Amino acid sequence: MSPISRIWNWRITVGAAVLLVAIALLAVSIGPIPISFSSILRTLLGLHHGLNGEQRTLVLDLRLPRVILAALVGAALSCSGAVYQTVFRNPLADPYLLGAASGAGLGATLAITASHGNVYGLLPIFSFVGGILAVLTSFFISGRFFAEPNTLLLSGIAVGSFATAVQTFIQQRHSDALRPVYSWILGELTAASWQVVSWSAFYILLAISTMVFISKKLDGLMLSDEEAFSLGINPHRLRIIAVLAATLATATAVSASGLIGFVGIVVPHLVRGITRRVTNRSLLTIALVGAAFLVLADLGARTLLSPAELPIGVITAFVGAPFFLFVLRNKRVSYS
Amino acid sequence: MISIKDLTVRYGNREILHDISMDIVDGAWTCLVGPNGAGKTTLLKALLGTCEYSGSITDNNEEVFRNHNRNVAFVPQNPHIPAGMTVAEYVMLGRSKRDGWGNESLSSRTFIADILQQTQLYGMQGQHVSQLSGGETQRALIARALAQEPTLILLDEPTSALDLHHQISVLNDIEILKERGVTVVSTMHDITLAAMYAQYISIIHDGRVTLTGPSETVIHSPQLRDAFDNRINVFTLESGRPVIVADKAINERGIPQTEA
Repeated sequence: MSPISRIWNWRITVGAAVLLVAIALLAVSIGPIPISFSSILRTLLGLHHGLNGEQRTLVLDLRLPRVILAALVGAALSCSGAVYQTVFRNPLADPYLLGAASGAGLGATLAITASHGNVYGLLPIFSFVGGILAVLTSFFISGRFFAEPNTLLLSGIAVGSFATAVQTFIQQRHSDALRPVYSWILGELTAASWQVVSWSAFYILLAISTMVFISKKLDGLMLSDEEAFSLGINPHRLRIIAVLAATLATATAVSASGLIGFVGIVVPHLVRGITRRVTNRSLLTIALVGAAFLVLADLGARTLLSPAELPIGVITAFVGAPFFLFVLRNKRVSYS
Repeated sequence: MISIKDLTVRYGNREILHDISMDIVDGAWTCLVGPNGAGKTTLLKALLGTCEYSGSITDNNEEVFRNHNRNVAFVPQNPHIPAGMTVAEYVMLGRSKRDGWGNESLSSRTFIADILQQTQLYGMQGQHVSQLSGGETQRALIARALAQEPTLILLDEPTSALDLHHQISVLNDIEILKERGVTVVSTMHDITLAAMYAQYISIIHDGRVTLTGPSETVIHSPQLRDAFDNRINVFTLESGRPVIVADKAINERGIPQTEA
C-alpha cells in the first residue's frame, strides 16, 4: 500500500511566480511604444546597453510602477478573498464583504467633494480610513468581537448598505463629483507612481505575509470550532488575525486603485479549481496568480482601446466572468 | 482519569448542566445516554474544554478548560464538511497537532494510508468528503480522529442517521481506538447498541447525571426508565444481551421475551 500523495506541491507556487514575472515583463514591454524584453531586463538589472532618455523614463517611471501596483492590488484582493472565504466558510465571500468597499467609497466621495477636483492628495487616505472604520464598526456592532462569523457577516452587510446610502446622498448633492466618483468606483491604476507603490507595498506585503504565515492553520477554520480547538487551534483568535490582515490588504488595495471587482472571488476559485485543492496552503499561489491576473487585466485596460483607457473593473468582470463560468462548468474540477 | 466535580454549565441565564460529579475511567468506553436536550452534547464540549463552566474537570490533574496540552479528538454530530476537500486532505488534518500544520513527511502520509485502509476508505482518498455517503463520512471523521492518535476521543451521536450495517461498522472503527488504549466518551441514541459496546453508561436527565456505572448495572436500573419517562422496556435475550425497546411497540407486538 503506497502512501497518500502530497496535499500541496510547492512546484505549483514556483510556477505561479514564473507566470507572474513573465506577464509583468510582457506588460512593461507592450504599449504605444513597444520596448523589447532584453532592453527592459538590461535596464532593470543595470547592465550595459540599457534604455536611455524618454524610453527609460517610460519604463521606470510610468509602466513599471503601474505594473507593480497592479500586481500588489491583485495579490491583495485575491489573497484576502480566499481568507474571507475560509473564515466565513462561504465560497461567495469577497474582500468587500465587511463594508470595506462601501466605507472606502464613502471616504473617497468625501475626499472628491471636499477637494473640488484635487483628488489625489486626500483620496487614498480618506478611502483607507473609511474602509477600516467600516470594518471596525461591523466588528463592534456584531457584539462579543467576532464570536460568531455569521453575525459579523450580517453586520458587515448592514454597515455597507448604510455607508453606500450616505455616499449616494453626498454624490447627489454634488453633481460635479459624479464623474470622478464613478470612475473611481470602476477602479483605475492611472494614479500609479512610486510614491503610491511604496506605501501600498508596505501594507499589502505586511498583510499578505501575515496571511501566508497563518495559512496552514487556516485549514482548521474550515471545520467546526470544536474540531479546530481539538486540533490545537484557538479559532477565535485565528479568525481575528485573519480578518484584520485581510482587511488591511483590502483597504490598502481599494485606496490605491478604487473598487476592482471580481478578482477576490474569481482568482481563489480558479486556483482551487485547477489544482483541485482547497487547502489554504495555496494562499501564496493565489496571491501570485491574482497579481498576474490584474497585471494582465490592466494591460488590456490601457491597450485595447488605446489611446483611450477602459476601467480595469470592466476588464476583470468581462474576461473573468466567462472564464470563471468555464472553470465552474468543467466537471473535472467541480467542487460542489 | 478524568474527574468531574460540581460541574455547572450555563448558556446565558439557562442552566444546562447542574452540579455534575463523576469519574471517567481511562482506556474504557463511556456512553452518555439520555433524551434529547438532556445536556449530553454540552457535557462533551465541557470535556473538550471549549465551553465555560463552573466547578472543575481535570484530566490527569490538569484543568481541561481551553487546555491545549492534551490531545483530544472531537467528532461532532453535524460536522462542517469543507466544500471541495478530499478525503485524504480531511484525514490528514488529524495529523496537524502531532506533526505540525502542513507537515507532509513520507511517514505521515504512509500512516494516513494505513488508517484509510483500516477504515475502508483506501481508494477513496481522492474523492470529495461532501460526496461521501453518511456512513463513509462518519468513517472519514473517525479516520481523522485515528490520525490524531488522541488519548481521549469524544463522539457526539456517531451512529445517528446511519442504517444498522453502517452503525456496526462505525462502532467497530471506534473499537479500534479503544483497543489502542484511547479513552472513548460518546453520546448515543440507541441504548441497546450503547450497552453492547460501552463498558460504562451514564444516564443524563435534565442536566443531571442520575446514574453512572458498568453498562450491565445501568441498563437494568429504574433510573434508566425514569430518564425516558417510563416509555422504554428492557428485555434480555437468551444470549444475555439486553434489548431496550419503546413501550408502545411492545404492547402492539407482544415480543415474547422475558422481562429482566
